[in-house]
Amino acid sequence: MEHSRHVFRVALVVMVAIGAILIGRGFLVPRSYGLFGPYRADNVAEQMKARPPAHQGAASCTPCHEPKATAHAAGGHKTVSCEVCHAPLLRHVAEGKVTGKMPIERAFALCARCHRRTQGRPEKFPQVVLEQHVTTKLEGAVCLECHDAHSPKL
Amino acid sequence: MDHAPCTQASTAPPPPRDAPADAARREFLGTAFKVSGGAVVMLAGLEAGAISETHHAPPPGGDAYNWEEHRWAYVIDTSKCIGCGSCVRACKQENDVPDGFVRTWVERYIVGPGGSYVDSPKGGLEGFPPVPTSFTPTKAFFVPKMCNHCKETPCVQVCPVGASYRTKDGVVMVDGSSCIGCGYCVQACPYGSRFLNPATHTAEKCTWCYHRITKGLKPACVEVCPTSTRAFGNMLREDDPVRQTIDHERVSILQGHLLTQPQCFYLHLDMEVR
Repeated sequence: MEHSRHVFRVALVVMVAIGAILIGRGFLVPRSYGLFGPYRADNVAEQMKARPPAHQGAASCTPCHEPKATAHAAGGHKTVSCEVCHAPLLRHVAEGKVTGKMPIERAFALCARCHRRTQGRPEKFPQVVLEQHVTTKLEGAVCLECHDAHSPKL
Repeated sequence: MDHAPCTQASTAPPPPRDAPADAARREFLGTAFKVSGGAVVMLAGLEAGAISETHHAPPPGGDAYNWEEHRWAYVIDTSKCIGCGSCVRACKQENDVPDGFVRTWVERYIVGPGGSYVDSPKGGLEGFPPVPTSFTPTKAFFVPKMCNHCKETPCVQVCPVGASYRTKDGVVMVDGSSCIGCGYCVQACPYGSRFLNPATHTAEKCTWCYHRITKGLKPACVEVCPTSTRAFGNMLREDDPVRQTIDHERVSILQGHLLTQPQCFYLHLDMEVR
């Protein structure tokens, strides 16, 4: 037995090493790691509240912009949400208060994004060759001279 | 008879000259095996114990949202897409996606017997201008793309620090505070849907707007799509339109041969699309 003392010495070293690993692990591995799988479970809740939702949908505009909303809902652009042409509601209203001016884009480029004839669009979708459709100069708010963006009929 | 013991001695194994040392070595090896085996079991037990708590741990999100009741899926009808890029802009604004990068993008395919042409200027952020082609196209169409939120995720498998993961409701996300920005996942993703954020130097990707869907809203791209090209739904709800589409229509997935089990399903997908 007196010859096997070195065995215990090695065992002690091994135990100390394991202890160091376990203590180090306790510091290095986040607390919620492994709760649901090999990742930090707290991040799921963090992602849920990563940022406030910026887009709120067309219905959220109606209370303040009733006439525009009614005209919009009856027209050919009813499937185009307000936030598509303007900006996310959060830029305009936060926590029920107006925080900024909603951008109003009038340039023809906005209309062209959807209605300029280009390869790839479904044939049935209304689209025009801008250079042929516009008889005057193709610039600025030229589309709005004839069309109403909220209910685009001639 | 005299030399019988001698013969015996020569055939029998030599008497242990160093008997105590040999016994000690055997004992040492035994102890070492026991200790190291025990350590392995103990360390493995820590992991197993942690994971077996899965069923007892309260789901994240509290009472407002139960991820056990949701398994999200996405349907894209390519025949409806007009290539306006509203989804790309909405995603950027909703998620503060850095300039030069996109979490979702739209590709245009122009195809004819003489060749094919694919483009995605700025990911479709500002729409698609007409382009001249060297061949006569017979068909052209847009294909919106994004993270496919695969069930068998190559990106999660390669993450060395457990920063990438897939939630119980089927969303693949990146834990920015754990990510070391090694970029393995960016390379592993066969759909090119990840990038390294130049400001944070961590991997970033589509989260299906996890901050929205857990509050009952749709992802921003679905919210703004003017032609209902994009649809998002819960596969655990039998009457969900997205589940109905996936159950009853002829849907396809991107790069099915990779067996990643994407959860973005496509309608009217052309064979040109990869």
